[in-house]
Amino acid sequence: MADKPHMNLAVIGHIDHGKSTLVGRLMYETGAIPQHVIDKFREEAKEKGKESFAFAWVMDSLKEERERGITIDIAHKRFDTDKYYFTIVDCPGHRDFVKNMITGASQADAAILVVAATDGVMAQTKEHVFLSRTLGINQLIIAVNKMDATDYSEDKYNQVKKDVSELLGMVGFKAADVPFIPTSAFEGDNVSKNSSNTPWYNGPTILECLNSLKLPESPDDLPLRVPVQDAYTISGIGTVPVGRVETGVMKKGQMVTFMPSGASGEVKSIEMHHEEAPEARPGDNIGWNVRGVGKADVRRGDVCGESKNPPTVADEFTGQVVVLQHPSAVTIGYTPVFHCHTTQTACTLMSIDKKLDPKSGQVKEENPTFIKAGDAAIITVKPTRPMVIEPVKEIPQLGRFAIRDMGMTIAAGMCMSVKEKK
Amino acid sequence: MGDVAATIKIMPDGVERDLEEIKAKVADVLPEGSELFGTVEEPIAFGLKAIKATVLVGDLEGGTEPVEEAIATIEGVESVQVEEVGRPV
Repeated sequence: MADKPHMNLAVIGHIDHGKSTLVGRLMYETGAIPQHVIDKFREEAKEKGKESFAFAWVMDSLKEERERGITIDIAHKRFDTDKYYFTIVDCPGHRDFVKNMITGASQADAAILVVAATDGVMAQTKEHVFLSRTLGINQLIIAVNKMDATDYSEDKYNQVKKDVSELLGMVGFKAADVPFIPTSAFEGDNVSKNSSNTPWYNGPTILECLNSLKLPESPDDLPLRVPVQDAYTISGIGTVPVGRVETGVMKKGQMVTFMPSGASGEVKSIEMHHEEAPEARPGDNIGWNVRGVGKADVRRGDVCGESKNPPTVADEFTGQVVVLQHPSAVTIGYTPVFHCHTTQTACTLMSIDKKLDPKSGQVKEENPTFIKAGDAAIITVKPTRPMVIEPVKEIPQLGRFAIRDMGMTIAAGMCMSVKEKK
Repeated sequence: MGDVAATIKIMPDGVERDLEEIKAKVADVLPEGSELFGTVEEPIAFGLKAIKATVLVGDLEGGTEPVEEAIATIEGVESVQVEEVGRPV
């Protein structure tokens, strides 16, 4: 089981379209929920005279279980298919949680978009599709959910499929390559087994689609990047930065450079879980010690890379952003805080280069004077102090950012290109 | 809108810092509407340990930010990082 490749799966969609129920169903069908929890629930449901098997309730029982102290890791959900093991990247309803999707420990490799057949495309459906594109999630699976509530109407399914396809086309997904599955997460139709309720559908199930996902490029093969979370002075050791390896492999004896400071040296030792390690790979939380690098040379937000391919410090960079919420209009000169890897850096909007038309994905306006909530745009920004950021095409883990101001997540985006600071 | 659970990594300002003291204060500083679910210690490197705290926050405006800011005010806390958010199971 440990040998299966891992993927992070976001489950996105409008509120109440059945995201949690689908996650619950997937965990149940793949054996990630203990049988006794299910049994207990079945009994309760019978007593209460509920005719249907509501997964939200199963999840509640599971929550109770967890509360009895088995683990505190209640935010973490995972399940296995034949081919992969998946970690769910949850997407709470409020936009302010988008920041956590970008700066959190796991960035989504693929997404299931849940659209209720009863409702069709809604505001958050659009927003999440746009956001997934902006965050570089290129593999989508569409669950046309709540089919039970439409009496498994093929017409309804086709209508939703048509509407969602149009939406996907707008933001540059090839709808023809994206699988659509009529589901009822509630009843379990077409999740792990083809359902007799939908005789008109003979495509794959959700689990089959999950097995057909392509693994993203392994972050091991990318250049070494370890954003510094904190730096410590430890007696007998010296300066110890700590952080999570995002890409590449760090080895003992390797020459590394911290940017933007430029401090360089040889990796003397690496530790994780208090044990010395000869190397560290993506996902590892490490502390490491570099010969000749003092505490004044390293601070939070710096990025460590191999000296022959050091992290890129931006004088300016261009990004594609989607504005999630803003009380008025975003204009040139605006200087909110960009959250990117472990850095939080104020950056000034130098130009709004293009406004993108959500209806066609094409450029709607060159050099608009402002953008507002709901708009997507290409912008050029200048960090107010040196900051490491990488084009998302080269190192996706260091190319995504959230823009915050006034206690809100204003926008999410990805770095398209960097003008290097000399 | 239900609860959201956030797994938050809290780093102390040094190896000598008493983590129990920090843990004891987390519940007190949390803003209204959020609730501490539990904490564990996680060894990092060279004697340094992180506190992993699970905090239930509402699916509300501001997201995890008010909670992060509150924990950052505790004496001896060097940094606060949200590792994962999700509906609690």
